[in-house]
Amino acid sequence: MNVSLDHYLMLSAFLFAIGLCGALSRKNAIIVLMGIEIMFNAGILNFVAFWHYKYFAVLTAQMFAIFAISIAAAESAIGLALVIAVYRHYQSIDVDEMRSLKG
Amino acid sequence: MEIAFWILSAITVIGAILAITMRNLVHCVLSLILFFLGIAGHYLLLRADFLFAVQVLIYIGAVAVLILFAIMLTRHVTGTEGPREVLGGKWWAGMGTAVIIAGLLWAIIRKDPLAAMLPAGMASTSVTEIGRALVADWLVPFEAMGVLLTAALIGAVVIALEEVIRKR
Repeated sequence: MNVSLDHYLMLSAFLFAIGLCGALSRKNAIIVLMGIEIMFNAGILNFVAFWHYKYFAVLTAQMFAIFAISIAAAESAIGLALVIAVYRHYQSIDVDEMRSLKG
Repeated sequence: MEIAFWILSAITVIGAILAITMRNLVHCVLSLILFFLGIAGHYLLLRADFLFAVQVLIYIGAVAVLILFAIMLTRHVTGTEGPREVLGGKWWAGMGTAVIIAGLLWAIIRKDPLAAMLPAGMASTSVTEIGRALVADWLVPFEAMGVLLTAALIGAVVIALEEVIRKR
């Protein structure tokens, strides 16, 4: 049995579900960000799998993967800065305790 | 090829599951690094050499270290906690959503006509080609990404230092 595009799509869907589960059910804001990173990686894996199996001749998918990785890096920097700001304000990074939008 | 795929998939899935289930935050980050390594291995298997290097440099080298720094700066959270402390309220709703999404995606992929598609080609893209494309066809997105990263850098510093600035 050869590894087909299907296998990569399944793996990526499974990883996306794991990341979603972590982002939605954990209490710690840092773990929520880690779940979002896992979802990002699952999406980027899809880009690369489609590039390998279908659109090998053009570089578009690789470019999209590179830009997605850059955006994920910027997102995690902003997210962790927000976590630190929230921690300074509430003395905790429990997402259940962040109920107020007032600064 | 197949054996490498299954081994890397096992590493990736185990890393991801451990990263979101472990109690100790530092252990979570170490599992996340395992997950990133598995994904990097998949890129190598898919002949995307440059993305392999990018994945190792950016995710393991930058993002994981950034998360470790955030854990260091927010103390009182590195200790182990009881199971009730780890999960947020309505955690069952989150897990249910994840299971439903997984089932939906699985059903969609099963119906997919692309199912048995085999590799289109085996030669890997050279870094030279990617570099040329970045400064020719993709110049505007490339520059926009530079602006975005600068904005994110300044924004992160401003957000993290907000209270300090206000106190002065």
